[in-house]
Amino acid sequence: MSADSEDKFSLAISAILKVGVMVSLFLIVLGSVLIFVNNGSNGIPLDQLANVSSISGINSRDLPLSNVVTGAIHGSGLYIVALGLWVLVFTPISVVFASLMNFIFEKNRLYVVMSTIVLVNLFLALFIVS
Amino acid sequence: MSKKSAEFHFIRSRNSEIVSPLLMVILEFLQIIFAGILAGFLGAITGLGGGTVLVPVLTLFFGVPIIFAVGASLISTIATSAGSASAYTKEKIANIKIGVGLEVATTTGAILGTLALVYVETHDLEWLIYVLFGSVLLFSLLPTIKRTFSELPPDIPADWTTRVFQLRGSYYDARLKTKVEYKGVRWWAGEMVMFMAGFISGLLGIGSGALKVMGMDWAMNLPMKVTTTTSNFMIGITAATGSSIYWSLGYVQPFLAAGTAIGVVLGSYVGAKMLVRISNGDIRWIFFAVLSFLGIEMIFRGLYLDGLSTITPFWQVSISLIVSVALMLSAFSIIRVKRRMMHIVSR
Repeated sequence: MSADSEDKFSLAISAILKVGVMVSLFLIVLGSVLIFVNNGSNGIPLDQLANVSSISGINSRDLPLSNVVTGAIHGSGLYIVALGLWVLVFTPISVVFASLMNFIFEKNRLYVVMSTIVLVNLFLALFIVS
Repeated sequence: MSKKSAEFHFIRSRNSEIVSPLLMVILEFLQIIFAGILAGFLGAITGLGGGTVLVPVLTLFFGVPIIFAVGASLISTIATSAGSASAYTKEKIANIKIGVGLEVATTTGAILGTLALVYVETHDLEWLIYVLFGSVLLFSLLPTIKRTFSELPPDIPADWTTRVFQLRGSYYDARLKTKVEYKGVRWWAGEMVMFMAGFISGLLGIGSGALKVMGMDWAMNLPMKVTTTTSNFMIGITAATGSSIYWSLGYVQPFLAAGTAIGVVLGSYVGAKMLVRISNGDIRWIFFAVLSFLGIEMIFRGLYLDGLSTITPFWQVSISLIVSVALMLSAFSIIRVKRRMMHIVSR
């Protein structure tokens, strides 16, 4: 691989990571502020949302991934926080995807296979429970 | 409604006569952020990552159920990993190829580790998580202490995995002011340690950076700089695997995770800045003492929850405190003596 394309690859990975964290933090802060301003979210009062000491309170099972994007677009504070957290999860996934692309470009067969296995594992994790 | 939750509401309503309920919740959120800052800071200073500190702090001092603590911790770990890995990949110290190759084992391990956590949770074995967590925390301190010694690994001959898995690389070392060429060996051994690291990550909700470092340092004989930065890069991918499963299981409390994510990022940013200044001082030993205290305390709490130990929480804290201080003082003096001996030998 030429030094130039290696440089570009490293820079791309670095940029994905940085942008991912920044977008995610922005969404988490925005969602939290909305939850406080609206005194709750999704029809759940604030003090129930904030009850972190009981396992029976609100948790991520009440916010399925399939609803996260639409919920966030509709301005639900809770779903915007959830979207922020999911952006965080998808940041490393996109890094693996970017390196798969790079290995395909380099025609490095062994590492194409290995990064595919990693991606399969990551997607398995997304759907393993449902 | 159970008696316990009735009591909880009573306390709430009594307090709300003094301050408004909204202010109460804001204060609680700020406390969570503060816990995150503390965890991120200590994690960055010691190189163990935020989760290792966050889980004990949330469970021991905030009364958060261990499942929620683990969920918030793992997802926050992605933020710290990505934040610092962004800098390391830019400088091209982290070896992305080696990292992705080893992720085959960590992601597989993470899936199985998460499933093990489900088993533990559904069988009321939470105490086991406390004890395991404490042990892993204490064990994790070892390679971090070791790091104060060697920067570059001994030169050993390449094996077949060096060629097949393309484990050669180089980076520019700013402190040594040279380009360091290196090669990894025993790829299969690295994969085996990485599988364990992934399993622990999914089971305990931490990045398990210490184990990853061990895999690349001890097993694959890579230089410390490459090892720590590549481990950092890998932690995010491993944590993303576990976090996706945690999410569908309901282990993530959004309010808690929001606070810890914000806090951990802030804390690790400050910690990384501070690290540059204090890396040569002996101040780090104080932080190691804090971590060993948390580790011992977690083990005590686990045994207490199971009824194996009847030591009351007050004595748990006292004993943990004494043991951790003694442990760190002895480790500190051993290292001092060793360093002096190395100094004499080199002369």
